[in-house]
Amino acid sequence: MVVKRKRETTVVSKPKAKEDSPPPVDNAQDVFRRLFEAQFEPLDLPASTAKSTNSDEEENEDDDGSDISGSEGDWDGMSDISDESNQVEVVEHTDAYAAPEDRMDKKTWKAFMSGKLLSDLDKPSTEPEPTSKKEEEEDAHDSANLKHDLALQRLLKESHLLDSADDLAPTGKNRLKALDMRMQSLGAKTSLYAQNKMPTAHRRGIKAKAASKEDRRRQEAKENGIILEKPSKVQKSSNNGRRERGVAGSSVGKFSGGTLNLNKDDIERVQASGRRMMGGRGRGKTRGGRGGGGRGGRGGGRGGGRGDKR
Amino acid sequence: MATSQPPLRFTSHHNLVYRLVLSTLTGRTVHISQIRSSSPTNPGTVLVYKPGLVTGSTAGTGASGGMITYEIPSNCNRGLSYFLIPLCLLAPFAKAPMKVLFTGPGVITSSTQTGDMSVDSVRTAILPLYRQFGIFNNIELRILRRSNTGPTGRGGGGEVQLVFGHQVRLPKTLHLMNAGRIKRIRGVVYSVGVSGSNNARMIETARGILNPLSPDTYIFSDVASAPLVPAPDKTNPQAKKKIGLGFGLSLVAESSTGCLFSADVASPPQGGQAPEEVGKQCAFQLLETVAKGGCVAPAAATTMFTLMTMGSEDVGRLQVGRDVIADPHVVQLARDLSKFGAPGWGIRDAPDNGDGDVIVSVVGRGIGNVGRKVA
Repeated sequence: MVVKRKRETTVVSKPKAKEDSPPPVDNAQDVFRRLFEAQFEPLDLPASTAKSTNSDEEENEDDDGSDISGSEGDWDGMSDISDESNQVEVVEHTDAYAAPEDRMDKKTWKAFMSGKLLSDLDKPSTEPEPTSKKEEEEDAHDSANLKHDLALQRLLKESHLLDSADDLAPTGKNRLKALDMRMQSLGAKTSLYAQNKMPTAHRRGIKAKAASKEDRRRQEAKENGIILEKPSKVQKSSNNGRRERGVAGSSVGKFSGGTLNLNKDDIERVQASGRRMMGGRGRGKTRGGRGGGGRGGRGGGRGGGRGDKR
Repeated sequence: MATSQPPLRFTSHHNLVYRLVLSTLTGRTVHISQIRSSSPTNPGTVLVYKPGLVTGSTAGTGASGGMITYEIPSNCNRGLSYFLIPLCLLAPFAKAPMKVLFTGPGVITSSTQTGDMSVDSVRTAILPLYRQFGIFNNIELRILRRSNTGPTGRGGGGEVQLVFGHQVRLPKTLHLMNAGRIKRIRGVVYSVGVSGSNNARMIETARGILNPLSPDTYIFSDVASAPLVPAPDKTNPQAKKKIGLGFGLSLVAESSTGCLFSADVASPPQGGQAPEEVGKQCAFQLLETVAKGGCVAPAAATTMFTLMTMGSEDVGRLQVGRDVIADPHVVQLARDLSKFGAPGWGIRDAPDNGDGDVIVSVVGRGIGNVGRKVA
């Protein structure tokens, strides 16, 4: 609001100044100064120049337009002030406030106020520095080298497969063998091509051969006075001599082609188990009788009850 | 352990803490008499302390899960650093990592009128000194709850956890003869239960004094609410009251060679001191500490000398200011050490130094950690 009012007064006063006293040509700077003072505040110039250029209108302008009755005495006061301002001003620069960019961030605050010791905070942070373009190139180079290394390792490992072939990449049977070797080196338990189905006689032969080899080795070691490791105990198969059957498999006979085939042995076994069960029950009856008479306990009572029913 | 040795006889309460610490570390029995000779009610208190394994003791509230909880009663008028500094002297010679939780209605984390430094200063100015003795791993001092001194100068409600996880066989021999120049100043300003603007006012004044001298000055601000301690009355047995209101400032100056100088000022318990005054006092106190010269501040001198004495049988050297070595506590410590059988200190003027510093040569006792014969 105040600024607006000021501007109005200046608009009124300007033409006045032009009419009353046209500015001298040599005082071009004064014109600019007056223009400036009209818009903003009066400039602090040395008293002599201020007095020389002063006019009544300017004083009126200084008094914000409202107070027209300005006097010369006011201006003398101004000159006094300008005299005082000749003294050297002392600026105390203590910089007690931290500038916002100077202020420690939250992370630093947390690091400092945590229980850790101050000396631990001086350690360089483990954050990875931004990678430059050169480093990226080096990384690419490294990865290429790594690939080459892997190829060389494989070649060295599988070279015995390649003695006949010309090219380095194995094909056909050799490829499958190489694949199998890689699987095993990666942790496969047995070879993919280990034979797991064979005639019984064949398997027995293999086992017997292995056992005889082991025996011979131990025998020779004993004769030569070499102490060997203790023979590993033969692992008993977990199914205790019973064959693993399917989920819905029958416990007796052989299920094939949608029919359960029982041979003579199976039938006999089934009948025998039934007889055993009956025998057991019979014995249970006598025991129950005894129990009912003698003890009268829980088990006996049950047996006795059944006996009574019969 | 040589139990046949007669107990060392001391009198008066002076240097009681360090006598007990030295007794524990050297394994000598002490007999301290006339501890409260001037007390009208119970004069002539005698303490006989026989360090060693106390048989027949049981694990009470103390040792549970590796963390020892220590409760400080409400009539305590010493700051927590009174307990912390001697405990930190014992901790490197422990058998296992030491974890202690200080709690209870007497824990004052700020500096006190009785002359104890704040827990912040212990963390930033005392514990880093152990690094120079090769003790630096897994040492933490967490301030879980802050508290200034209670209204009558007694009690507080703070909670502080000390983890001292670096046990050594022997502290390294120290040769510290170059104080360097002050590199930076750090500080913690805290207000407990009062307006956080106090912090800003303290920081402004302190920075106003210190910044022209050291541009790398940062003071971290921490505003905490007042702790509550149980204050049961007739009507309400669960009543609690606020305690430990106030504010304070802890400043640490670090030199280019790692020497630390600290200053601590807190508002008095009766109040009536402007934060500007506290900030100004603390800044001037820091400047005074630095002006005393040497490589070690008066508050840390006893810690340094004790650790040097416990070191290997080698001559360690430490440059200290003349005022620091003339401190009655340091002189008393030297006398007590010689009574405990440590060789005397050699003191000579520091060469090429106009500040009047002296170099103190301390021969280690080579006892070190009995619990770590094999390290």
